[in-house]
Formats: sequence, structure tokens, C-alpha cells
Amino acid sequence: MASYLVRKIGLLLLTMVVVSLVVFLALELNINDVAVHVLGPYSTADQRQSWLQEHGYFDPFILRYLRWLGAFFRGDWGYSTYYREDVNTLLPPFVANTAILTGVSLVVMIPVALALGVIAGMREGGIVDRLVSILAVLTTSVPQFASAVFLSAIFVFWLGLLPGASAMTEGFSWTELVMPVMVLCLAGVGYLARMTRASMVEVMAQPYIRTALMKGASTRRIVLKHALRNALIAPVTVIMLYIPWLLSNAIVVEVFFAYRGFGTLLYTASLNHDIYLIEACAMVSVIVVVCTQLLSDLAYGWLNPRISFSGATAAASA
Amino acid sequence: MTKLRNNDGSPLHRAVPELAERVRRGAIDRRSFLRTVSLLGVSVASAKAFLAGTEGGLGFSPRSALAQEPKRGGTFRMAMQTQEITDPANYNWIEASDITRNIIEYLTLVDEQNVTHPYLAASWTPSDDLKVWSFKLQPNVKWSNGDDFTTEDVEYNFKRWLNPNSKSVNRTQFAGIEFEKTGPLDFKLHLPKPKLSTPEELYAYTCSIVHRGFDEQGANFQKNPIGTGPYSLAEFGIGKIAKVKRRDGYWGKAPYLDEIQFIDLGTDISAHLAALAAGQVDAVYRVTVNELDLAKRLPNVQLVSVPSAMTVCLRMQIDQKPFDDIRVRKAIVLAADNQKMLDLALRGQGLLGENFHVASIQPEYFPLPPVKRDVAQAKQLIQESGQAGKLNLEILVGNTQGRFEQDAAQVLAQNLAEVGINLKLNVLPPAQYWPIWDKVPFGVTFWAHRPLGVMTLDLAYRSGAVWNETHFNNKDFDAALDKAMGIVDPKERSKAMEPVEKILQDSAVMVQPFFVNKVTAVSNKVHGFKMHPAEYYNFFNVWMS
Repeated sequence: MASYLVRKIGLLLLTMVVVSLVVFLALELNINDVAVHVLGPYSTADQRQSWLQEHGYFDPFILRYLRWLGAFFRGDWGYSTYYREDVNTLLPPFVANTAILTGVSLVVMIPVALALGVIAGMREGGIVDRLVSILAVLTTSVPQFASAVFLSAIFVFWLGLLPGASAMTEGFSWTELVMPVMVLCLAGVGYLARMTRASMVEVMAQPYIRTALMKGASTRRIVLKHALRNALIAPVTVIMLYIPWLLSNAIVVEVFFAYRGFGTLLYTASLNHDIYLIEACAMVSVIVVVCTQLLSDLAYGWLNPRISFSGATAAASA
Repeated sequence: MTKLRNNDGSPLHRAVPELAERVRRGAIDRRSFLRTVSLLGVSVASAKAFLAGTEGGLGFSPRSALAQEPKRGGTFRMAMQTQEITDPANYNWIEASDITRNIIEYLTLVDEQNVTHPYLAASWTPSDDLKVWSFKLQPNVKWSNGDDFTTEDVEYNFKRWLNPNSKSVNRTQFAGIEFEKTGPLDFKLHLPKPKLSTPEELYAYTCSIVHRGFDEQGANFQKNPIGTGPYSLAEFGIGKIAKVKRRDGYWGKAPYLDEIQFIDLGTDISAHLAALAAGQVDAVYRVTVNELDLAKRLPNVQLVSVPSAMTVCLRMQIDQKPFDDIRVRKAIVLAADNQKMLDLALRGQGLLGENFHVASIQPEYFPLPPVKRDVAQAKQLIQESGQAGKLNLEILVGNTQGRFEQDAAQVLAQNLAEVGINLKLNVLPPAQYWPIWDKVPFGVTFWAHRPLGVMTLDLAYRSGAVWNETHFNNKDFDAALDKAMGIVDPKERSKAMEPVEKILQDSAVMVQPFFVNKVTAVSNKVHGFKMHPAEYYNFFNVWMS
């Protein structure tokens, strides 16, 4: 187990280094843009050159990269040229907001999706199964930018029940959280419900369930005692994969509702060629992805004690 | 008959009596008269009284009388991007100036009808040749830190702007101007060439007057927001929110609102409208044609609009292949269907453009014969240029003002397909578009509204001008423009504009399809809100019910 954790953390560090190098290289292509964004389009070429010089942009690439890397591991994540603020102080509130958004979405989404999936999977082909399947396919196939417009049209413009923007300028507000959570959940519930259903259907067809049935156990007992735990292995992986999925999908939802989260931050940083902020966001993403993988492996082990963390399995799951 | 008088009681400019006579005879229109004499230092009130006394009266409706008694207090919230406000002379975004317009002030004020009023400058008098302008400052103006506002402050600002290291657009705008301090509240501007629009230019969004200690105090307005205006900065975060609160001790008439908030809801205007519909904001910064239907349907919301000279130019660089061949450029302009672009991209919400970048609402506009589309001639020109079948062009689009830019380019692509030119659109987000807007051979450029057409022509088409994105270089054009800029009489100036417009149109440097009406949406609770054609918002007369 310990060696497994060490390997995972090593992998995390390696991924971070590789990703940061790729991002740095990609942004490297046009450093003049940085000066234009900082000094404005009316600055002269001389002014841009001297700004770039002053801020060390003309040093060799590898030197600048190592300098950034060193500072990064020391906890100095650089300065955002767009927000004119240290990334260290800028980033946490935005990440916290996204954690709230995705956290609440998961809390709403998981019970609903699991319940729907289990109910549908208990009797394959039944009316409930059909209904859930249709609903799931429908919601999964509508992209967030469309469902955001659709739900806004209903709840904001037509019924006037909910606020249309979620900037939370007056402090945290639950009502402003409803629309973004609804959009994220709508897209997520369908897929997870389908996964749970498929897994449930498979388990329900297993010989041991048939045996239990023949022994006269009640449906309730069969589902809760025998089927559920095994049927949950696949959905748990999906849930863990949902966290990075939510992080990337939050970009669309956050920008649409002007929610001040990680997605909005990354979007703005990318538009404005804000190198250090983009790097920091990329690093946060890597950490989240690798950590959720780790959690998913651990949860797997808990649900299915036969899975061991010896080299082969761990490598396969990585 | 009421007499015209200058703001400071000084003698009238020699052109004023003649202008008065001409407006009385109906030789020039009343609005042009008002705009012109206000630039020459005549008090707007006396000019309006004069017009009211002439046959036909004022000729256009004065500001509508307020139906209700304005109410003091309250907070007004607008959805708007909050951009950095470090140095007001270096702004790249009008939005930034709309925040600080409440805190720092300008020498003059150009209202939504393009009439110039005294502001920090109480009065101005141009010399007969329009090259020396004498300004008198408002007395008893105090900075928010208690200092007196004097000529020293103005001198300091001009020095900052004109400094060779200045990053401000003012450096080129006022190049060659000499500042002469003539008293504690008086100064003179010596211009290298006659320019009637000088008082108007002082209301450009980068021309707000900062305290004389600005650089000493760290050259950061956000950290040290000292101003002469009625509000003080209470909170500010880029991409978040800006709040200004009314302060005591303002020199002028106190505004009604206690607090103004600018809330950054990103770039998507439909999110702004959603916030307006839900009552989270009281106004949005701008509505484009794409959101117009939605905005119209919102209950308890009023649409406010004003015609403007804002436009997009689908412009070509005349020293880049294949645009160095005038036959290619002419073919493109002849193939373009400006009316269709106005109808489709703008849904008719604007004025037709005629490829010379002067709008019919601008006082010096000279009507040239209407632009006619001629596909056959365009094809022939392409044949003659020997480029038939070889023209695969790309146009850069930034959609900085909305989707309509892309839609206009799309119409052009279809127009050009008819003459065998293949046009591809390269659409970039605004932030990526701005660094290269003037670099690409073919691009769609947004040009802001300016009260006078010559101001834009001077910035964009004069040989060697900083924003000359087409690289247009024509001595005859420059000379004709100089001549027009020095003429006071609007009718005469308009006549002098004929060659200016003709040369530019004949040179086929751009397809300039339309001028855009400025529209925004405001809650019914808001009163006294005026749309400004340049989006230079001033909320001093706004109140909330």
C-alpha cells in the first residue's frame, strides 16, 4: 500500500512537470502578446521590448522554465498579468468556489443517479427502466451550453424564479447556485444512471442472485444485501472520473452564469495570455485528476477486496 | 433676439456672427450650429436661447422635461467588464473610463447629442486661426485629498501625455501641441495646425485629469484614487466588481445616486440580460443586434438607443499582396453589398456606410453619389488583374463588439464568391485579436464613434498616422483633410469634405458597410439614463425610483 502511494505521488509529480513544460512551450510561441496585453495595443514596439527585457522574457527558455519551476515548488506561483495580483492570493477563492459548485453538484447528482440506475436495473426492460433510459439518453445528449440557455429561458426569463447570473457579488448565495448546479447535474445524472443500470443488470443476472431468489429472499434483501455492493464498483469509478469531468465542464457553466470559479479563471487567463495563471490552473487540474484517480483506486479496493495494490493492477489502473 | 455670449464673457470668435446669420437664414442646420458654436466657446444655454428666438424655434426637442421629481439616494448597478484602471491615460477600454469618470473629470464634456460643454474648463476661446486656444479653469475645485485644482494639474497631465515614454494614445493625439501656463487658472494650447475639434478631443476617454502628484504617489490610480469628481472608489477588483460612493465636498451639482456598482459578469451579453431580467443589475453596458429580440421581450425593461458613427471597416493593407493591386481592391468593394450587410448583420439597426468612414449624422458629412454594387465590373477588374481564380483570401475577425462583425464578413464572403474570390474567415476571441488588429493584410476593425468624422480620418487614414491600419498614403488626401479641419462653418467644411471622401472612396481601401446604432437595456426603475454614442456614460443625472 505504501509503495503504491509513493508510486502514485511520483506519477503526480512527473505529470505536473510534463504538463507544465508543455503549457510553457505552447505559450512560448508568442511572448510579444504578453507585452501587448500588459501594456496595451497603443504601446510602441520599444516599450514592449523593454518590458519583456525587464521581466526576463528574453532569457533562454529552459532557464525561465526552471526559474518558474523552482519558484512554483517554493510556493511562489507568479503574478497574473490580467488580474494584476499574485496567483497565490488570486487562485484559492476561485478554486474554492468551483469546489463548492462541483461538490454540491455531486451531492445532488450521485443519490439521484444511483437511485434511478438501481431502480431501472432491477427489472431490465420494465417500464421504469425504459423511462429512465430515455431520460438519461436525452439529458446526456444535450450539451451544457444548450441546457444552460434552455433552463435559463424557463427559470429566469419565463418564470422569473431564479437569478440569471451567479456572480455572488453580495456574498455567497444558495439561490445563485441553483442554476449552475442544475445544468451540471442534468448532464451528469443521465450517464451515471445508465452506468449504474448496466452494472445492476449485469449483477442481477449472476448465478448467486438467482440462488438467493430461489432461496426465497425478498427483492429488497437481494438488492441491498447482495447486488448493490457489486453493482457499485463501476459507478464509483465513473463518479471519480466525474470530478475532473466537472472541472472541465464547469468552464462552460461558470462562464455562462458568470460564476467566479476555476473555469472562469482559466478561460479569462487563456484569452488574455496570462502565462503564470494558466500554468497554475493547469497544475491544479493535474493535482485534481491524479488525486481522484488515487481515490478511485482506494474506493475500488474497499468495494472489492480481491483487488490488490500490487504492481500489475496499480500500473493498469494508472 | 437673445444674444450669443461666450462662457467667460469674452468676445465671440469672429466666425460666430456669420454662423448665427446663416442659421437664421436656414443655410445651416440648427444642430450643426449648436455643435460648432459650443466648440468655439459659446455658452450652450445662450446658443439654445438664441435658436429658440429664431424663426422655427430650437428645431429639435430639448432634453425632455422630467415628468417626476428626481429622487436622491439609492444604488445603481450596471453589468460591465471591470478592466484595470492603473493609469487613466493608458486605458485601452472605454469600460475602464466609465468607472473612473465618476471619480476623475475631464476639461470638457461632450453630451449624447455631441454638444460640447464646459467641465473642469469653465470656458475656452480659440484664436481666429483656430491654432491658439485659451482655457479658463473652473474656480473652487478641490481634489478629494483637499488640494486645490489649478493649472499646474492640467500642465502636469499634458506633460505626462506628451512625454516620449508615454504609453498613452494621447501622445500621438496631441503631438506637437505646446502647453503654456498663463495663470493659476488659465492656460493656452498652441496647436501645430488649426483644429476646431480641440475641445471635443479633450473628452476622449484617455483624457481625464489626474492629480499633479500621480506619478509621485506610485502612478497607480486603483491604489490612490484621488479625484475632483463626486464619487470616490470604494471597492475594485479586476474581473469582479467596482463600487463608487458619493463623497461630500464636490464642487459641482451633486448627483442623485449614492452608489454606483459595475458588476463584471463576463463577456457574454445574454448573461448580462439574464441578470437584468432577474433584477440583479439595473442596466447592462450594451446590447448588440444579436440580443435585441431577447431584450425587447423583457418586462420592466426599457431599450435606450442613439445613432452613432461607430462602424466596422473590412479593410485591406494596400502594400500587401494581393491588395497592392487597386483593381483587386476595387473589385472587392464593387462586389460588396453594403445594404445586405446592414440588413443581415445589423438587422437594419444602423445607417448605410459608403466606404469613406464619415457618417451622415456627423456635421461635416458630404453626400457623394450612392454606392452601387456592380458584380460584372468587379469580375472584369479581376480578369484584368490576372488574378482570376487565384484569389484565396483570409479575413481576420475579432467580434470585439459582437457577432455582427462576423456576420458582416460572412455576407462579404458570399458576395465575393459571386466574382470568384474565395474568402475564409479567421475568427479569434477579442483578446487574441487585439494584439494583431493592425498587422494582418485583411481584417475587420471596429472604429469607435467620434463626434466629428475628421477626427477618425485624421487618426486612421492620414499618411503615417499611428492607427493607419490600411497603410493608406496619399498626399492629396492629407492636404484636403487639413483644409477641412481648419474650416469653422459646417456647410463650408462639408463642401471641403467632398474631395476628402472621394479620394478615400476611390482608393478602395475598405468595405465600410454600416454605422451601428448604440443600444442598451435599462430597468424601468432607472430614470434620466442617456445612451452615449461613444459609451462615455455619465450617471450624474440618473436616479432610481
